[in-house]
Amino acid sequence: MKYFSKMRGTTKSPPAVGVKEVFWSWLGAMLGILLIGCLHYLVLAGVDLILLIPPFGASAVLVFGAPKSPLAQPRNLIGGHAFAALVGVACFKVFPDCLWFAAALAVATSIAVMHVTRTLHPPAGATTLIAVIGGEQIHALGFMYAFIPVTAGALILLLVGLLFNNALQTRRYPQFWF
Amino acid sequence: MTRTKIDACIPVDLSDDDIYEAMKDIPGYLDITLSDFKEVYLRAYRHATDRLLKSLKAEHIMTRDVVAVEEDTPLAEVAKVMAQRRISGVPVIAREGRVVGVISEKDFLLAMGGPGTTTFMEVAHKCLGGGQCLVVPSDATRAADIMSTPAVTVTESWPVTEISELMARKGINRVPVLGPDGTMTGIISRGDIVGSSLVPETP
Repeated sequence: MKYFSKMRGTTKSPPAVGVKEVFWSWLGAMLGILLIGCLHYLVLAGVDLILLIPPFGASAVLVFGAPKSPLAQPRNLIGGHAFAALVGVACFKVFPDCLWFAAALAVATSIAVMHVTRTLHPPAGATTLIAVIGGEQIHALGFMYAFIPVTAGALILLLVGLLFNNALQTRRYPQFWF
Repeated sequence: MTRTKIDACIPVDLSDDDIYEAMKDIPGYLDITLSDFKEVYLRAYRHATDRLLKSLKAEHIMTRDVVAVEEDTPLAEVAKVMAQRRISGVPVIAREGRVVGVISEKDFLLAMGGPGTTTFMEVAHKCLGGGQCLVVPSDATRAADIMSTPAVTVTESWPVTEISELMARKGINRVPVLGPDGTMTGIISRGDIVGSSLVPETP
């Protein structure tokens, strides 16, 4: 019976943030993704490189929507994405013909690696998955995927997060670096 | 002891609403649930009280002006010292400076009041009942003859809480405090512990 009673939850949801905070989160994410998107579509369009991948949308939620969260700190943002990308590419290379297994292995292993390295960053779960199921264009990058777009994009988000969040009186970022 | 410790250290009972309101006061999204916060708070409180209790050490509350006797000090001299200083026990020091034992009123009662006499009221009872009062012991003449040995000692860095537990466990009323080189630097009596504030004053 304890098993089912545990599903009831024990506490209530944290309070909503104020209108100002909503706007700051919106503006921060706008600037962060705008910069990555511009580079992706305007600068890198000619060469065979990409920069804008979906996990950065999730990272923007943390860096601009919950900048105080341990999950949003630089160590987690950069480390989580980098480790997860390497794990994802490795899983694809080992099981290139069995994507359903490679996908599960990549996500599970990434979580384990992020735990051990204290770099847990939820968006990186998508980063590792894309390395496996991202299609021809991603597969062609090989381990390069971990550097561009993943680490490079994460560094851009970090830069915008630092410049933007610290410009506001109610925010400071990061809580810790490493 | 345990009871008072608990009473003195009960953390403020925060309600979920208190935490919720506090979280609303802080701008920005806090990535923590109310129950997580409460658990962290309660555990941190326990660590803080532990730290405060342990930070009060023997060297902070010990009496440094200690009077001691030597192993071959005559008992009459020991009694005179204790009477003059109005103390109920003295450490006994060997020639090389080591604490070898402690003499207390109880040791005198045992030696002079007959076998098994450990309190003054037993002596009073025997005297008033017409029995034998205090006798001058013939076989015990020096401090070493009646002292309790080996001496229970502590070092300067012992937390006061552990010293009070030690006293209760051993049924003793004072412990000599030894410095880093093993020589006595002070003594702690039960009175020193009662008179000390468990939370040390800020320096």
